Amino acid sequence: MTKTMKQPKSRLKQATGWDMLIFILLTLLTLIIFLPFYNAVVISLETNRAYALNPVSLYPVEFTLRNYEHLISKGQIGIGYKNTVFITFMGTALSMFSMLAMSYAFSRRHYPGKKLFFVMMLFTMFFSGGMIPTYLQFKNLGMINTTWAIVLYSGISAYNVIILKNGFEQTPAELEEAAKIDGANDLVIFLRIELPLQGALIATFTLFTAVGYWNEWFWSTLLINSGSKMPLQVVLKAIVAESAALEDVSTGEAGADAFAQGIKMAAVMLTMVPIMCLYPFLQKYFVKGVLVGSVKM
Amino acid sequence: MCRKVGENVRARMNRLGRNIWQARYIYLLLIPGLLYFIIFHYVPMNGVVLSFKKFNARLGIWGSQFVGWANFERIFRTPDALNAIRNTFEINLSRLVFQFPAAIILALLLNEMRGTRFKRIYQTVYTFPHFLSWVVVSSILSNFLASDGLINSVLVRMGGSRINFLADTALFRPLLYLTHNWKEMGWDSIIYMATITSIDPTLYEAATVDGAGRLQQVFHVTLPGILSTIVILFILQVGRIMNAGFEQIFYMQNAAVKKVSDVLDTYIYTITFKATPNYGFSAAVGLFKSVINLVMLVIANFTVKKASGSGLFV
Repeated sequence: MTKTMKQPKSRLKQATGWDMLIFILLTLLTLIIFLPFYNAVVISLETNRAYALNPVSLYPVEFTLRNYEHLISKGQIGIGYKNTVFITFMGTALSMFSMLAMSYAFSRRHYPGKKLFFVMMLFTMFFSGGMIPTYLQFKNLGMINTTWAIVLYSGISAYNVIILKNGFEQTPAELEEAAKIDGANDLVIFLRIELPLQGALIATFTLFTAVGYWNEWFWSTLLINSGSKMPLQVVLKAIVAESAALEDVSTGEAGADAFAQGIKMAAVMLTMVPIMCLYPFLQKYFVKGVLVGSVKM
Repeated sequence: MCRKVGENVRARMNRLGRNIWQARYIYLLLIPGLLYFIIFHYVPMNGVVLSFKKFNARLGIWGSQFVGWANFERIFRTPDALNAIRNTFEINLSRLVFQFPAAIILALLLNEMRGTRFKRIYQTVYTFPHFLSWVVVSSILSNFLASDGLINSVLVRMGGSRINFLADTALFRPLLYLTHNWKEMGWDSIIYMATITSIDPTLYEAATVDGAGRLQQVFHVTLPGILSTIVILFILQVGRIMNAGFEQIFYMQNAAVKKVSDVLDTYIYTITFKATPNYGFSAAVGLFKSVINLVMLVIANFTVKKASGSGLFV
């Protein structure tokens, strides 16, 4: 990117009109993206009374943490956190290992069945049994209402395996041959030689897989129905949809500081925080992630 | 003669056996992934026979009564299903018009922007929403657009009247494209930004020498430089025409806008998880979608292969 920044030097002298226009447009866009977040933060830190008087304020007029306290005291969000952390860690570890092992195997020289297995995997990108047959399969496996269903199902993708395979194919063949002569088997080569060489690619995919698990919602809603197993996103959805149930927070204790909208936004904030913490790292691998991931189906 | 053939076969079997034995650790590494694809993709694929059956939970998928094409015929007799099919196509075609160019325009603007520090801060803001789930994004945006939200409060202060953004059939679809852009355009623009970086700087110098202004440089150097990326991403997007962005629509949908917002995915979801589901019919709608999807993907892959010399998947 540095190249484009340096290259239009000859253009630096003229045309301030265009520059102003572009700057204004992009600043507006930044505000449009930033404001809804900011508004949510303000509301989550506001008291009911102040919000009722003035819903449009640039800062919390009566700063309070009561919305967060109320939310946490209800316990749901804690359970959601626990489940999602479990799903994210287990899921990322298992699917990264499976995908790396599989892509390494596909990157090796010819062996019986390689092509068949590869085509088999490829076909899943083009055709799926659909929502109902997959749901019934979970039912048959007795995995309805288990967090393991989410852990095992949502992390692996044929597309990622192909990208990782391309990464493995780029390591020089001599390395492997040298190790072979020293008596190393494929397992040792994979773990000791190939994996350490793929650091950047592994970091990229681990981050994006982890974010995927953190944000997973669809199959969690379909498969998990008991409150104690719900992941964070499902809990958040329930809290946001539960507006009627939350309304009595404010009417119950007259003038109480917590209120429905404030609690909802507090829940949104708590769901977002880990992603915000991860964001600087994600940003580091952006371009790589985009270049390899943009054609994801 | 016979013995010779026998020996040949035996020799080949031996060689095959040896090859398999040599690759034993490779197979070991393949096992977790293959098991995953078999259990969660191939076994459910058998479930498509469900679309030709009248599902009976007691008899299971295989025991249920075979009804031929009846479930598929029913799709075309069900107004809601037809509505969902039409919406899916309409929404996705509109997405091509209103969402696809947004990222390109943003990349061009960012590329033309001066001031590295601002640029970096702005890009950080633009890309962030991509990493949030639609649950989070739709909660934040509905709060913003709600009838007592910030936008409406400002409208009222300025003497206007409240607009119920989220329950207006005329506004729902534009809102769909806008919120999608809000979440994804920053992220989608990165690939164009990266492609622009690879444009030969001497082209710009030559253009300047030839007296090309800034706008002309954009249209005659930058745009042609990213054209092949644009074409490939466009074809891909067309290949995904049946996937209308389930999660986004699911969250933003409400009873008031069901007619204009129901797409195949939300329709399947609704009919499957309501009180009296008809799994056979649901599976038929799902298969209908999968098949069109498959055809579109194969066409897209083929076209990209023609255009760029290499396919997307192999």
